[in-house]
Amino acid sequence: MQQNGFTDDHLDMLRELMNIAMGNATASIADLLEAFGKMHIPQILISDMEGLASYIQQTISIDQRNYVTKQLFGGMFSGEFLFVISEESALHLGHHLYDVDNPSDGDILDAVIELTNILSATMISRLTEELNTKVQFFVPSTELINGNALISQEDIMNYHRIIIISTQMEFEHQNINGHIFILTKDGMIESLKALIDRKLEELYA
Amino acid sequence: MVTIPYPNVLLDALEIGVMIIDENFEVRYWNQWLEINTSHLASEMIGKNLHDFYPQIDYKVLARKIRTTLRLESPTFYDASVQNRFIEIPRTKITTSLLMNMQLQVTISPYIVEDGLVMVSIYDISDLHELKLTLQSQMKKISELNSELHRDKMIIDANLLIVKMDEECKIIEATAAFLDFFGYQPESVIGNYLPRIFGEVSVDFDTIQICDAIARHQKSSGEVKAILASGEEVWFDTVVTPLNDDESDTVSYTVIFHDISDKKRIELLSITDPLTKLFNRHKFNEVFENMVLRRHWDEHRTFGLIIADVDHFKRVNDTFGHQSGDRVLIEVAHIFSQTIRTGDILARWGGEEFVCLLPDVDREKALYVAEKLRLAVEQLHFPDVGTITSSFGVTIFASGDTQESMMHRADLSLYKAKENGRNRVEYL
Repeated sequence: MQQNGFTDDHLDMLRELMNIAMGNATASIADLLEAFGKMHIPQILISDMEGLASYIQQTISIDQRNYVTKQLFGGMFSGEFLFVISEESALHLGHHLYDVDNPSDGDILDAVIELTNILSATMISRLTEELNTKVQFFVPSTELINGNALISQEDIMNYHRIIIISTQMEFEHQNINGHIFILTKDGMIESLKALIDRKLEELYA
Repeated sequence: MVTIPYPNVLLDALEIGVMIIDENFEVRYWNQWLEINTSHLASEMIGKNLHDFYPQIDYKVLARKIRTTLRLESPTFYDASVQNRFIEIPRTKITTSLLMNMQLQVTISPYIVEDGLVMVSIYDISDLHELKLTLQSQMKKISELNSELHRDKMIIDANLLIVKMDEECKIIEATAAFLDFFGYQPESVIGNYLPRIFGEVSVDFDTIQICDAIARHQKSSGEVKAILASGEEVWFDTVVTPLNDDESDTVSYTVIFHDISDKKRIELLSITDPLTKLFNRHKFNEVFENMVLRRHWDEHRTFGLIIADVDHFKRVNDTFGHQSGDRVLIEVAHIFSQTIRTGDILARWGGEEFVCLLPDVDREKALYVAEKLRLAVEQLHFPDVGTITSSFGVTIFASGDTQESMMHRADLSLYKAKENGRNRVEYL
């Protein structure tokens, strides 16, 4: 079955690469932040902006405030890394990393950025490493938003074909969990397909 | 690949701060940008610990970031939205004082991983941050203004009778107060024509002047009277205002209806005789004065003045009491009102005396009206008083006349009518 030019083989490969990348991320977080957790099996789907907005609304609770960190990455495989963590989880994260009872807003923001850094660096780096291509990370930005309106109404109207790779991260002991979205669009989908094709050729050569 | 022979020159030429430190925060490189902006020379920094110069940095966090950078061989970042989480660098901008210190964006990149060295790049994003702060401040102001506007709109909606109309006099919007006042449902008003709407509830509402103003694309105001279906008489001061779009083309009109019924009632009381409901002497004098001052009267086009007096009225009062006397005056006023023409001005002058101005009459016509009034009174019959009569003095405006001269002649005529036996009309 094909999904916008992606065959089942492509999707299986991407899922496999993501599993490796996520394992890498979990290990790094355990090592660097001393937090032991797990990541759910990644969901991979191809959608438009409206579908993305709808998917985010289904995934993220509307009844809470969320820290949303967005980080762009560039290269043959480029796109946007999105990490969404509830205000409560972010507070636990700040508490864990800064080892203070009441972390300041600045502490929490820095903690969220730090976790995002590790997640994006490990997941995207590993993914691009597996695909034999280089990646450049751009400065992330974090904002605290009410509910799950991550995409503005104007942007929902834009037409883009998007690959959504999403997973959930949980650290039970620290009571921290968050959602990760890796988004790439239009031309990059072809680029990613070409990279996966090359990887498949390598493996089955 | 070309090897760059003088990397220091390149790093010094950058418009960012660059330092190289190890995992223990020992400074290995300090570029020119940092020398200039921190006032610490490379010679005094290199080989020293960053902590000696910047003790305020959270070194636990910095250590963790350096470790992450080295372990992942990927850059890590400080949050750029919080001021001075790294080092403080004073800002020299004079023209604005939003930021005293530079807003920094700090990236820690792996340099020589095996030696535990990282490169810390410091970007001055103060201008960007300043713009963000200005924008936030403006947005806050806009939000406050919007709240005020919303509050004002709610007050207007609840209290003012306003409709917005298109060029065809079709209603686009109506306030809740308007709907409530006239007892309309929004669906019956929006998209409907104003004359049709008022036709349903008002038996007497002149929307012509409103629709005329709209047809002429002009601002206009005026007073209109409406008699509601309930029979209640309501007066409105209406203001029609064209609303222009950016290109100055009129796209819609607002009509504000201000209920001035109370004002009208007070106004009416001040010019009305309480017993007979005719104009009082004050209002009569005002109209009389205006009429005399008009310059267009001549021998062919003039106006008349009648003074009427109920004969032996004192006797009526003394014999049958003041209540009967009042009833006589009310009936006389009523029969006079029924008898005069539209446009004639009738008033109670005082006591049992009435005055009437007759525009555009000559002597004969004035005498004819006075005679009609006399006959009308003569035919009245009161159960207790029986019949009554009245006497009339008539005069016509002549060139050079004043209010006083005309009143004087009319008075003399009335006196003559009384002298000649009452219940008659005399002219002077």
